[in-house]
Amino acid sequence: MNTNASEIVRVDNVRKVYSDNGVPVDALRGINMTVLPGDFSVIAGPSGSGKTTLLNLIGTLDKPTEGAVYIDGEDVASKTRRQLADIRLRKIGFVFQAYNLNPVLSALENVEFTMMLRGIDAAERKRKSLALLEELGIGELANKRPNEMSGGQQQRVAIARAISNDPRLVLADEPTANLDSDTAVKLLELMEKLNHEDRITFVFSSHDPQVIGRAHRLLILKDGQIVDDKVNV
Amino acid sequence: MLSLIAWRNILRNKRRSFILILSIMVGVIALVLTDAFSIGMMQQMLTNQIGTDAGYIQIHSKGYHDDPTLKNSIENTAPVRAALSHDSTTVSFSERLRVFGLISSASNSSGVSIVGIVPREEERITTVHKYIVKGTYLTDKPDDIIISTATAEKLKVGIGDKVVIMASRIGGSVGAEACRVVGLFETFDSGFDQTHVYIPLETARKMLGAAGRVSEFVVNPIDPKQTDSISRQLRSRLPSDMEVLTYKQMLPLLVMQIQLYDQMIYIFYAIIAIALIFGIINTMLMAVMERTHEFGVDMAIGMSNKRIVTMILTEAFYLGAVGTVVGLAISLAIDIPLSHSGWNLAAFSQSLKSVGIGTKIYPVVGASTVLNAAIIIPIATVIGAIYPAMRAIKLQPVEAIRAS
Repeated sequence: MNTNASEIVRVDNVRKVYSDNGVPVDALRGINMTVLPGDFSVIAGPSGSGKTTLLNLIGTLDKPTEGAVYIDGEDVASKTRRQLADIRLRKIGFVFQAYNLNPVLSALENVEFTMMLRGIDAAERKRKSLALLEELGIGELANKRPNEMSGGQQQRVAIARAISNDPRLVLADEPTANLDSDTAVKLLELMEKLNHEDRITFVFSSHDPQVIGRAHRLLILKDGQIVDDKVNV
Repeated sequence: MLSLIAWRNILRNKRRSFILILSIMVGVIALVLTDAFSIGMMQQMLTNQIGTDAGYIQIHSKGYHDDPTLKNSIENTAPVRAALSHDSTTVSFSERLRVFGLISSASNSSGVSIVGIVPREEERITTVHKYIVKGTYLTDKPDDIIISTATAEKLKVGIGDKVVIMASRIGGSVGAEACRVVGLFETFDSGFDQTHVYIPLETARKMLGAAGRVSEFVVNPIDPKQTDSISRQLRSRLPSDMEVLTYKQMLPLLVMQIQLYDQMIYIFYAIIAIALIFGIINTMLMAVMERTHEFGVDMAIGMSNKRIVTMILTEAFYLGAVGTVVGLAISLAIDIPLSHSGWNLAAFSQSLKSVGIGTKIYPVVGASTVLNAAIIIPIATVIGAIYPAMRAIKLQPVEAIRAS
């Protein structure tokens, strides 16, 4: 399969079948899509439509039953667990619905953590983490633990963590689902700014109209199939 | 940073970590105390045997050790004295004439080892004079005899009473001597007490018709560590019809028992380590299961299996290290004072006396004991964490993230 050199992600005729108590369930049925640098795409659809499943496949957290997922032209199916971990570390940032920060680390340490995994030296990662937290408006929370921060603040830390390794792509799975609308708007504005100014590529899964309304590209999923793909929404 | 996370994870569930550290501490304390008391007991058995009777080195006529009879005693002691005179600054010695015989009173009789000694020489070599509980030690009077309280009870005699000792003379006839009990001794070894009586050397020689003869020269180096080198020197200086034995050759069973114990303690270490490993498996598995979601997130953000394993093993190592350090500190705080004052086990005096140990045991905390605990316990905790770590890395990221 030839992939365009500029494509970060190519999903090629992907099918994902889960077993539900022995009964096969088609979560995704023949998905084709690409993610290009600078995208601000939203995968939308009702609950159970396969949004998170698709995001997990793009994030190399799962492998397709059929078809292929390419990250920077490399078929993830051929990769070992170790290689996949390395792809996630270097190329993909994750923002989760429930923030999922390490509870024993401070905001600063949570951001530093992924850089530590890349082997960046302590002084450099501290400098960069502090700069990121400042950029995201939470510099004063650097030494706070997750349980000392609000949901919005935690999600900002999660974004800082996701972009700390300069990934090719940030995957955000329902990032505003646990936030009130004001906080959600501010967070989305922040991610838009990162997309505009720093050219960070974002792919969201969401059914939040506020998220959908900001999408440059909107993919509508229904029953495991892309039923609509709108660009420049 | 992984070590920081590992440490904070330990502090996260303080109660669970405390209980685990406590169990490690108990293991360390049990291990160190058992080892220290056992080594102390073994060394006491050995030093007691050396101190009461054997000494560090003995010189005999060749064959006496295998057949300890009068005919194998040393007839000409001059070469031995000459050899020992070379080492007068490093050794002290005494000479004995020893024979198996019978001690009788009006009421009873008992088979004993009759030992003829030079009291002033013997005092420098053995400790029997320290165990006189009634009367005095041997004096210069030829009819003095000291016996143990156990023998006195059996013979129904006391201080000042007369007893008769009998033994085969050198020519085969029976020699007898009437003696007066001047002292009663009671050592830590009931077996020794029941089988030994002491009379002046010249009295023994006269009774046995063994003028000038000596069964054994007992030689103690001033520094016991020089036992082997001094025995080698003596061997080279003495005529070939003499044998020089160290306590290792005279008390082979005891020495073997100590060597065996040195090996056996590792079985005890293994038992403690295995118990600990199961405790760690249980606790760490619980910790891993509780953090399934976290591991899923760690995997998602790119943490490798190797790092996850390292983090879990580091947590276990820290738990083991803290438990070991605190356990060792407590063990030493118990053992060091006891190694000076001794642990009084008077309640078990009968059984302890039967194996030649005093009623007080002085634990010996050696560097090897501390080192063994310091190495074995943290390693055991790390081994115990391997299975939980393997379980953690077998998690599928997607499923792990879904876990609540």
